[in-house]
Amino acid sequence: MHRRNPSILPTLPVICVLLLGLLPAGPGAVQAQGADAASILNSRCAACHERTADGGLSRVEDMRKTPEGWDMAIVRMTIMHGVRIPAEERAVLVKHLADTQGLAPEETRDWRYILERRPNALDKAPDDDLATLCGRCHSFARVALQRRDAEEWRKLAHFHLGQFPTAEYQAMGRDRNWWEIVSTSVPDKLGKLYPLRTAAWTKWLDQDAADLSGRWRVAGRRPGKGAYHGIAAITASGEDRYRVALDLTYADGGTASGSGNAIVYTGYEWRARLNLDGESVLQVFTLSEDGRELSGRWFLEDLDSVGGNLRAVRMGPAATILAVEPAYLRGGTFGRIAIHGVGLDGEVDLGEGVEVTSTVSRSSETVVVEARATAGARPGARGVRVGGADAGGLFTVYSRIDSVRVEPDEAIARVGGAGGPLAAVPAQFEAVAYMNGSDGAAGTDDDQRIGVMPATWSVDDFNETAAAMKDSQYAGRIDMKGLFLPAAAGPNPERPFATNNAGDLAVKAVVNDAGRKIEGAGHLIVTVQRWNDPPIR
Amino acid sequence: MLHSFKKSALLGVLLALAVAPAAVPGAADAKDILLTGVKPDKIVMVDVKAREVIKTLEIPNAAPGNLTITPSPDGKIAYTIVNRWESVSGIDLDSGKEVFRADFSSGKTRVKAMFAMDISPDGKELFVFQSPVKLGLGEYEVQDTRVAVYNTADGIGAKPVRLMPAPRRTAVMSLSKDGKKLYLLNWDLTVMDPMTGAVVDVHKVRNWGRANFGEPDILDVWPQWETAGVFSTPYYVVRTDKSPDDPAAYKTGLLTLDLETDEFKMDGFEDTAVVIFSSVINPVRRNEAYMVYTTLSKVDMSKPLAERLVKRINLDHTYYAVNVSSDGTEIYVGGTMDDIAVYSTADLSRIGTIKMPDGGDQALSSLRLIQR
Ligand code: HEC
Ligand code: HEC
Repeated sequence: MHRRNPSILPTLPVICVLLLGLLPAGPGAVQAQGADAASILNSRCAACHERTADGGLSRVEDMRKTPEGWDMAIVRMTIMHGVRIPAEERAVLVKHLADTQGLAPEETRDWRYILERRPNALDKAPDDDLATLCGRCHSFARVALQRRDAEEWRKLAHFHLGQFPTAEYQAMGRDRNWWEIVSTSVPDKLGKLYPLRTAAWTKWLDQDAADLSGRWRVAGRRPGKGAYHGIAAITASGEDRYRVALDLTYADGGTASGSGNAIVYTGYEWRARLNLDGESVLQVFTLSEDGRELSGRWFLEDLDSVGGNLRAVRMGPAATILAVEPAYLRGGTFGRIAIHGVGLDGEVDLGEGVEVTSTVSRSSETVVVEARATAGARPGARGVRVGGADAGGLFTVYSRIDSVRVEPDEAIARVGGAGGPLAAVPAQFEAVAYMNGSDGAAGTDDDQRIGVMPATWSVDDFNETAAAMKDSQYAGRIDMKGLFLPAAAGPNPERPFATNNAGDLAVKAVVNDAGRKIEGAGHLIVTVQRWNDPPIR
Repeated sequence: MLHSFKKSALLGVLLALAVAPAAVPGAADAKDILLTGVKPDKIVMVDVKAREVIKTLEIPNAAPGNLTITPSPDGKIAYTIVNRWESVSGIDLDSGKEVFRADFSSGKTRVKAMFAMDISPDGKELFVFQSPVKLGLGEYEVQDTRVAVYNTADGIGAKPVRLMPAPRRTAVMSLSKDGKKLYLLNWDLTVMDPMTGAVVDVHKVRNWGRANFGEPDILDVWPQWETAGVFSTPYYVVRTDKSPDDPAAYKTGLLTLDLETDEFKMDGFEDTAVVIFSSVINPVRRNEAYMVYTTLSKVDMSKPLAERLVKRINLDHTYYAVNVSSDGTEIYVGGTMDDIAVYSTADLSRIGTIKMPDGGDQALSSLRLIQR
């Protein structure tokens, strides 16, 4: 019933908070002259947050947050409490607070999907109660990415009902004594799950800052466009600030290049904005604890459901395989296989049953070979080796495709445009081929993933209600790259009740496996716009 | 009303000649007038049988709009929750002047009226359910909810004469006909002494304890009991002895409370098929209820379970509020957008439309019926 959402109660205030306080504006621009964090806290915050005995500010000193979390809190002060703070001072505060009261890498590990704005990420919570109590208006990840003691979690509960008095009247707020629970037992529970002081954080504070300058080998894939590899050149432009230039080559031969600026928060949170062939792209990466690897997601600044994954390793003596493309070969066929990485010197081995027949080209970053999988080659994943570098799970030999899964199998797209302020939010799907496992049945846990395949795409009504409403006719169109483009926002006079172009759809992909057609299906809900889209949803 | 329209009109004329020309509430010549609110700051009076807006009154400092409307028993004043739910304004429907105002919040405490409001039968006391929060330096502190009682005679700047602790999540509040009971619908229907705030009874809703049923869910914020003297609301409940995949596990029912006799009933009428926001009871055929949201339903609770849903039609858009004429012949659906649609209680046929002036939205405003 998503389209006929019977909620009369205002749930979230309409605030579009941008990542403004967070992203580098241009070289040097963010390094505000003059005002340092201590004096900004004093001039902008101390009027309402009293000095404590240890010299900090009440409340402000009692919590740890991600850079996005700090930025949202400061924006909230400006919207709800009339605080005025210029953009450059806000940026200085976010940097200072994220560095001194941030989260350690292992404290953010399970929740990166929300920082990376992964479309269709399934939000998690430690238990169903917490999911309902604290994860129904925003993600639970928003909660899990903060650290406070019980008393501070309790104050946060008071803010919630104090600011949003209808919270206890809404669905899932009125089916229980929401306020009584969130002001008593929940803060105690959260104080134990996510306490202010942790060994991980204390240890991380002692970590030496890494210098990211240098050349990095990158690889990744952008759903809808395919795999890519390339080089990132990173140069220091200030303390924890960098210039970055990126050159990418897609598997289909297309290229992309551009440059921009980055900041590293808390010693490992890489945030960058690049202009990549005219498109503004944001990067949300994390630096590995040994400072050798950057990984995460990047996306279009004004359309964050479109983007890709990326992994980067420092170019240097240590050999690493980052990607194999294509990532699969059918038994009994020949193929040209590219291996991307760093320090790729020495013999190429694609595993048992795969014969490397010739080397097409090679450098220490890319080796291209011709290879043949024997007809009887055991189907399954192979370890790949180039000289001293090896990697598991990057390459698969298959005998036949047994099933196709549409990924993500549950997705949301949003209507938009039509002269309104919000553009439609498309959904990108991929068709992933699988082999049956030893149980001989498709759709079970032992299925073996082969990889992303080209497919023929279509949408259909998901169920009878959708068919009666002709959802597949109104909600939007899917292209042959698996990109679903939703229809225009607003009431549609052609539909019953002049309802909007929301819909409940089955997304179908048909993959051709040497003449056999194999179909997979996913579920897509096309719904209304998201008016409130803060950095942490 | 047992007499025909003609008879009553004739009687009205006779009465008007015989006694003073001023409208006497409840007198046979009195017309049904609907009161609704229009964003951001208007109260609209509708002569509903004439299908005509007769007056639009402006409420001072009302933005972004008004919520609950409570008419005085004599139909002369409309009290309404305004100003981000932080004030009640009483507007004299004849002069258009603000004659009552209570602003709840102070610098240190923010107080919001949460939907529920009613007035004593003698019109002297106004009961407002409030949710306060203390605004500290750098932190908030939620306070217990309460009913604030105001003397309507205190006029502009009225302060509460009594504050009575009341259950959280109260959404509708009604005084019994004799003014001796204050009903608060929250998780249960709490019965309070309006003088002392003492809880004198509880009609169990969430805690009804019926075997094989879960806890009923209600969200109703619309006071629509004035014509029949019966408070009513739809409720939803899940059968715990049926599979969650079974559509028959989901039931919709009707809760009714007779404000004269205190008779309280909760009874099902269908497997949940549509969402319903609010309901009203026919003052003449008191077993009949009408309910709205995207549909208009007519339910007869005197029939066997399978026949209770008498008729259901699709509405042209969503309507939150519903009321019924004092002769029980017409249904008025309103709230949400900029019109009130009129339907016949006999067969749910559409018999009229009243457009709000300037296309203003009624949103969450109540739709109240007075006689003048
Ligand atoms: C005009 C008064 C005022 C000023 C100035 C002010 N705050 Fe606040 N702050 C509040 C109030 C009131 C609350 C408690 C209610 C809330 O959480 O919004 C609060 C709460 C907070 C919290 C706790 C929020 C949470 O997540 O629970 C943080 C952190 C905070 N402020 C940071 C700041 C910072 C940083 C500044 C300076 C840029 C600042 N405040 C300036 C009034 C102020
Ligand atoms: C009724 C909807 C709702 C529910 C339920 C809810 N939240 Fe929130 N939460 C919000 C809104 C709205 C904000 C403020 C967003 C903004 O403007 O920055 C928020 C903000 C937050 C923040 C960020 C605060 C800051 O300034 O850093 C945290 C952390 C949080 N909520 C935790 C919780 C927890 C814990 C619970 C359960 C006890 C919970 N939320 C339940 C609506 C909700």
